[in-house]
Amino acid sequence: MDIINNIVRILEKYWNLFLIGTANTLLLSAVTVLFGIIIGSLLALMRISKLHIGRCKPLNLIATVYVEFIRGTPLLLQLYFFYFLLPMMVPALQLDKTFSIILALCLNSGAYVAEIIRAGINAVDKGQMEAARSLGLNYRQTMIKVIFPQAVKNILPALCNEFVSIIKETSLASTFFVGDLMTQFKTINGALFLSIEPLIIVGIIYFVLTFTLSKGIAVLERRLKTSD
Amino acid sequence: MTNSNYLIEVSDLHKNFGELQVLKGVSEHISKGEVVSIIGPSGGGKSTFLRCLNLLEVPTSGKILFEGEDITAKGVDIDLHRQKMGMVFQHFNVFPHMTVGENVTMAPVLLGKKKQNEAVDMAKALLERVGLADKYNAYPQRLSGGQKQRLAIVRALAMEPDVMLFDEPTSALDPEMVGEVLNVIKGLVKEGMTTVIVTHEMGFAREISDRVFFMDGGVLAEKGSPEDIFSHPQNPRTKEFLSKVLY
Ligand SMILES: Nc1ncnc2c1ncn2[C@@H]1O[C@H](COP(=O)(O)OP(=O)(O)O)[C@@H](O)[C@H]1O
Ligand SMILES: [Mg+2]
Repeated sequence: MDIINNIVRILEKYWNLFLIGTANTLLLSAVTVLFGIIIGSLLALMRISKLHIGRCKPLNLIATVYVEFIRGTPLLLQLYFFYFLLPMMVPALQLDKTFSIILALCLNSGAYVAEIIRAGINAVDKGQMEAARSLGLNYRQTMIKVIFPQAVKNILPALCNEFVSIIKETSLASTFFVGDLMTQFKTINGALFLSIEPLIIVGIIYFVLTFTLSKGIAVLERRLKTSD
Repeated sequence: MTNSNYLIEVSDLHKNFGELQVLKGVSEHISKGEVVSIIGPSGGGKSTFLRCLNLLEVPTSGKILFEGEDITAKGVDIDLHRQKMGMVFQHFNVFPHMTVGENVTMAPVLLGKKKQNEAVDMAKALLERVGLADKYNAYPQRLSGGQKQRLAIVRALAMEPDVMLFDEPTSALDPEMVGEVLNVIKGLVKEGMTTVIVTHEMGFAREISDRVFFMDGGVLAEKGSPEDIFSHPQNPRTKEFLSKVLY
């Protein structure tokens, strides 16, 4: 029963740390997803762009290499990379290393969002493009009026799922003490020399966050399906 | 060789998909007001031929004149030509995120052919004609296959095309819905719409066509009046095909 007692004691003393940590984790995840969507949309547009020089499509190539590279290396490595690289390139950032970490998270998420958007667009029946083009719409008009509105229905639930994964992935940023939920575990662990108890608390908070969100997404998905 | 009576002229059309030669030199013309049915075994290139006419497939070589203009030439704005060529697909391809009304009005309004209120009036009139007046605000999900295909026809007609291209418009339908769609096509033909239709409905092809093309192995293996093709086929391949489809 020691564990239960310890957990109660920790909660009494440090409840505000968990609150702040949860808020920070949610904020960090929201910022990451938001910029991830912006970056991912740009990458997705680059990948479907028809701009070409000879046979080479430079925008497409850059975006593809970027996405493959980000998806092919561990997030923790990318976090370290930006943590050391950015302050070297921009000395002003020496002061705020958190910024480098947030930037790394956004750049990482952008690559995954780009794939989500691409998959969402590809999942729209090919016949839709043909029908719209046969009416005389050009490629752009077809994308805007016919393909994107249908792709959104595929993309939206997947983006929400991405948000859920990011909530979990931001815990890696605690390596650099950015103040997220996992950072609070480290703080308490350092102060009390207790590890299991704060881990249980933090774990339950993560679980409640992701579980509720996942259930919410399932509802959203069902709504989107029936509104076809 | 250009005849002002020809709406579409195809000369020596070839289409390859990689190594696969699908069209091996097709030359034909389709006159204004003419009704042409294309029949033939699956894989013979019928769809590819039809889709080349509005450049949904880009020909590997050969020329296609539409209303006297070479649409395969460089720098041609194919979108403008496509506005005058309606196409109806086997799988309807109606827009599921738009209401029936929006399906019909979207293209004419977006492409500046009609003002919104004019487009709505026209859509209502056209939908009335095909028996879909009461579905104006419904979403396609609520329609049967036959209703979806009638909507797809109306959507194409809303651009006031000079020719209608049909690619097996009834092949994906339950048998009891085939008639309603064929009746709509028959109505168009009666009004003088130039029509090219790929179909497996032999009775229908015989009834409505001015000419019938038998396409096999990427060429128009035989062509003639419905009487010629269905009652006196010359080519052994035509005979064989007809004996299989007309039990
Ligand atoms: N986009 C494509 N890519 C590769 N092969 C194709 C494509 N479209 C059609 N084909 C091939 O071309 C041949 C003719 O197809 P199609 O024109 O659809 O014939 P039909 O309509 O007479 O059944 C088939 O062998 C088919 O597999
Ligand atoms: Mg076909």
